Amino acid sequence: MDSNLARLMQRRTFLGQTSLGLGSAALMSLLGRDANAAVPISGSGLPHLVAKAKRVIFLCMAGGPSHLETFDYKPKLDELDGKPMPASFTEGQPIAQLQGQVLKVQGHLTKFRHHGQSGQIISDFLPYTAKLADDIAIIRSMVTEQINHDPAHTFMNTGTVISGRPSMGSWVNYGLGSETENLPGFVVLTSVGGRNPQPIASRQWASGFLPSRYQGVEFNSSGDPVHYVRNPAGVASAQQAALIQAIGKLDRRRNALVSDPEIDTRIAAYEMAFRMQTSVPELVDISAEPQNVLDLYGARPGDGSYASNCLLARRLAERGVRFIHLYHRGWDHHGDLQRYMNICCGLTDRPTWALITDLKQRGLLDDTLVIWGGEFGRTPMFQGKGGPGRDHHIKGFSMWMAGGGIKGGVSHGATDELGYHSVENVVHVRDLHATMLHQLGIQHDRFTVPYQGLDMKLTGVESAKVVKPVLL
Amino acid sequence: MFVISRTALATTALTWLTLALSDATPVDFNRDVRPILSDKCFFCHGPDAHKRKADLRLDTAEGATAIHDGRAAVVPGKPEASTLLVRITSTDEDEKMPPPESHKQLGDDEIALLREWITQGAVYAAPWAYVAPKWNPVPVVNDQSWPVNWVDQFVLAKLESEGLAPSPDADRVTLIRRLYFDLTGLPPAPEQVDAFVAAEEPFGATWSKMVDELLQSPRFGERLAMYWLDLVRYADTVGYHGDQDHNIAPYRDWVVDALNQDLPFDQFTREQLAGDLLPNPTIQQRIATGYNRLLQTSHEGGVQEKEYLAIYAADRIRNVSNVWMGATVGCAQCHDHKFDPYTIKDFYSMVGFFADIDESQHFKVGTNDLPTRRPPEIEVINEADEELLVDLEERLAKSVTASEPTDVLEAQIALIKKRARRTMVTVALKQPRTVRVLPRGNWLDDSGEIVDPAIPDFLGSLDTGDRRATRLDLANWLVDPEKGNGGSTARVFANRFWYLFFGSGISRSLADFGGQGEPPANPALLDNLAVSFYQNGWSMKALVRLLVTSHSYRQSSLESVALRERDPNNQLVARQSRYRLPAEIVRDNALAISGLLVTGPSERGIKPYQPAGYYRHLNFPARSYRSDEDAGQYRRGLYVHWQRQFLHPMLKAMDAPSREECTAQRPRSNTPTAALVLLNDPTFVEAARVFAARIIEQGGTTTTARLDFACRQAIGREPDDRERQILDELLNDSRYTAEAAAQLLETGIAPQPDGIDPVELASWTTIARAILNLSETVTRN
Repeated sequence: MDSNLARLMQRRTFLGQTSLGLGSAALMSLLGRDANAAVPISGSGLPHLVAKAKRVIFLCMAGGPSHLETFDYKPKLDELDGKPMPASFTEGQPIAQLQGQVLKVQGHLTKFRHHGQSGQIISDFLPYTAKLADDIAIIRSMVTEQINHDPAHTFMNTGTVISGRPSMGSWVNYGLGSETENLPGFVVLTSVGGRNPQPIASRQWASGFLPSRYQGVEFNSSGDPVHYVRNPAGVASAQQAALIQAIGKLDRRRNALVSDPEIDTRIAAYEMAFRMQTSVPELVDISAEPQNVLDLYGARPGDGSYASNCLLARRLAERGVRFIHLYHRGWDHHGDLQRYMNICCGLTDRPTWALITDLKQRGLLDDTLVIWGGEFGRTPMFQGKGGPGRDHHIKGFSMWMAGGGIKGGVSHGATDELGYHSVENVVHVRDLHATMLHQLGIQHDRFTVPYQGLDMKLTGVESAKVVKPVLL
Repeated sequence: MFVISRTALATTALTWLTLALSDATPVDFNRDVRPILSDKCFFCHGPDAHKRKADLRLDTAEGATAIHDGRAAVVPGKPEASTLLVRITSTDEDEKMPPPESHKQLGDDEIALLREWITQGAVYAAPWAYVAPKWNPVPVVNDQSWPVNWVDQFVLAKLESEGLAPSPDADRVTLIRRLYFDLTGLPPAPEQVDAFVAAEEPFGATWSKMVDELLQSPRFGERLAMYWLDLVRYADTVGYHGDQDHNIAPYRDWVVDALNQDLPFDQFTREQLAGDLLPNPTIQQRIATGYNRLLQTSHEGGVQEKEYLAIYAADRIRNVSNVWMGATVGCAQCHDHKFDPYTIKDFYSMVGFFADIDESQHFKVGTNDLPTRRPPEIEVINEADEELLVDLEERLAKSVTASEPTDVLEAQIALIKKRARRTMVTVALKQPRTVRVLPRGNWLDDSGEIVDPAIPDFLGSLDTGDRRATRLDLANWLVDPEKGNGGSTARVFANRFWYLFFGSGISRSLADFGGQGEPPANPALLDNLAVSFYQNGWSMKALVRLLVTSHSYRQSSLESVALRERDPNNQLVARQSRYRLPAEIVRDNALAISGLLVTGPSERGIKPYQPAGYYRHLNFPARSYRSDEDAGQYRRGLYVHWQRQFLHPMLKAMDAPSREECTAQRPRSNTPTAALVLLNDPTFVEAARVFAARIIEQGGTTTTARLDFACRQAIGREPDDRERQILDELLNDSRYTAEAAAQLLETGIAPQPDGIDPVELASWTTIARAILNLSETVTRN
């Protein structure tokens, strides 16, 4: 048995080392690099531009954090606190849960200060983010088109509210391919904490009409880190290796007779699956990190927290994952906003800072684009489910970007005096997409895929613009 | 691939060009010119009147030849006088068309083709998809011994014109497996394979008999239903926000039954779109109207009713037009269609047909229960309970005289009614909602004109006099080949049936027969199939029979490198196609091979083993998942609980769609995620261990005999020496300790067999896993 095992372990090494030689064309096709298997671009090849960023970490604050308690300070809001909301702002506008109710102004539920050399205004809810004032570009004039969570996420991720379209992580992987042979190119991580979390659908990381291999793979904090990545009970790694190798041999034997390129792809897929079985558990085991790094994030191995996920995001970035999407679900603060902001910010503020800091000290921030924000913002109007809160709001909210060729210490755009409408340098979701793609070396209006007779784009049919002022 | 290859279009054009320059073959507008104009010009110079540039439209002859500033874009016969040609050949950046910002470019071959087209008189033709199909004479072929039916004559004529020959027939094992997978979604049993291989009657008779048997099998309806349910986006949950379960399973069962009974496609259509409007609708016809309720719905807190009514309307029009018209009318929700003559008014006029569907109730009564409430719903009592009920009600009527206690009878009746399934149906409102054109799709904008239900204007109009047109009028129009769009509908489906049995559509655009769709590779064949479909009483079984009894169907799927390069998408049909089985069938196949499969309908969505916590992102209510511990665990994939937001990871990994939108063609992928499923998902590990027990119990005593038995079960053939050797080595490498074996064998709920050494069983489980993971096992060849 021992010598048998040794032989098998040798084979396993062999399997790990030679896959490139055995089916490199097929492997390339799996990774999305094969020109024949993935002809995404009508027009010239990618990248279209010099890429400033190689990867994206998208920190999605799901539920819709209040811009009026984070980045958007409006003295007039405090002045009118408790007074009727002027109808000039709200007339003819879409309204979510406040439909049919008397609309009153809700003043800021926190204080704001200037931070850093740039003097950017950030609220007291975010003391750690405040330390990043000179690293981040705050966009204070976001708008979106969907006022309910589910469609708003779909819109933020796919640029449309129609289901069945690829999410941005899929688009990016389709366009640029993966940089790792051991991991999926698009990874999703989730955490909770705050108000009763809104659901989040796997549609948000679906590949839509793009090939399935570009869909996001969710890493789980409990159970198998990736579905079915563990061997069946009782099966040792060497036995699994022997099995996969035998399947490969049999498939190759068959392929000698039938000559089917799909079989090559399949063999490569099995080899990659086996490598994932080894690399994923290693990757998600953050206990191997030094204590000072764990402390930096406030991460405890295995707790599934946003802090741990931020640390995981860094590990994924280091290993060449192209698009890392973190969701923290708990930002839907219709009531008791102060209390829940304390919880949400308590869980996310420091780890976010730690992630940027850690990426920076490892030299990774320069080519990693980090984006922070929710699917929408919150109303200047009061909503009272419990203590004071705010309803969904889509006409003006804030997000920030950092790293990956983004200028730090700048603010872009503004909302009106009550934080209702974005009025200056308005940035639509599609502009955010265009900017993200631009940093990755992709010209958004040339990045198209024919589907149902149309040249589909992440940025959709309306014209989108790159937010140039925030670029280095 | 599912994306339309522009390269393929260019190749067609280029092929033509080579011919044209040599012997002046006439340019065919639809085949050669329209694809170029549509892709490169129509975005600004096409049907969308609102965004048209320079008031020039090139999609009609009138538009193209109209005089602007003394000149016309197209002057028939005079390329040099045509500004179109001047502009596309210009080297001046400001003059050149298409403009640089469009990122579109015309190739030299395309320019040459446009020049030749103008030279030949710039003849326009109506878009092929809008011209009703007509019967074409069956072509004469050189090799008269090959064709079995007229389908083959079209295929062979095409091949002969291309200088190609059909592939030889596939071997009998491949053939029977192909037919079983295609018609039933299940593999043939080894005995059936043996009988077919050994059959001595003339091939045609044996084959024909087998086809008829399989068409009569209840499994046929299940197989075809998988495809239909993708088209109409059937799912067990609402889709949006809380993604609660909703009541709809009886609709799924109706589809299976209708397909098994070969309900004619025109009636199949009427009952789904408008069963409630038929005279004295039966319960079954009312269940069928569940079609109108399959869209995604929401009662998320804060949804604005008006907004969601607009969302639902658009969802329906996308689906109806995709499914029955092979059209993307959904694009006209915000603006006139860019490539096809659908206007925004057409879109909202079609919405009008569905304005009588009572669906606003659920904004008020939708609850976070499982299932949630989505009235109107009806109770569906199964046959056995129906009989009981009739009996009980009779007894209740007599109870006064028969001295049977009334309250007991009433309680029993109540119990039966309580366990009845519920299903969403369509109930027409007496007063349909007012439908307005929503400018730019904006539901807040009430300035648009009010529209009545109508079919797209360029396709004609419905003759209903003063009566408001209904869903039934729409359904009738969709399936009426004489006065309606029936011929086109038949063509859309003939194309999809071809895809199901040949692996690729005759037009590869299964859901877009518009200007941007790929023209059919063999238009006469496609038209004849369409005509044959409706002339044979819209019998789907007859159409399937025609296809699978053709010689074309029986060809080998092996391909030479040369053929693969020449015809990568099998548009010429010089061979059959090979591809991984659809997700549900991957499951069914493993269960069938192991012997675990339980056939027959399931009243509810079944729940296979699923990773713990997979539903943790669902809320309202928070979800727990309990996998089935009864026969449900082994039922067919068709019946798996279809949770739109979190489709079972096995189905998802194998490319099953979430069913949020119409899916006419699934991608076919080979991914590491799918490999992990087949390797490690407990469903497949359990199937392997149960299969292993069968191998040991029934496969003989020697390793060789057992390996032969195992392969025959799974792939219908015995392994060759090399394969045997590989499996034998694996068996030797797969030695388990008693403890490890016990762990492995605890996978799944199937009882463990008595009298088999667990250590030996574990080793053979590994062999079974290997065989279940073979490419050959999961491939339709």
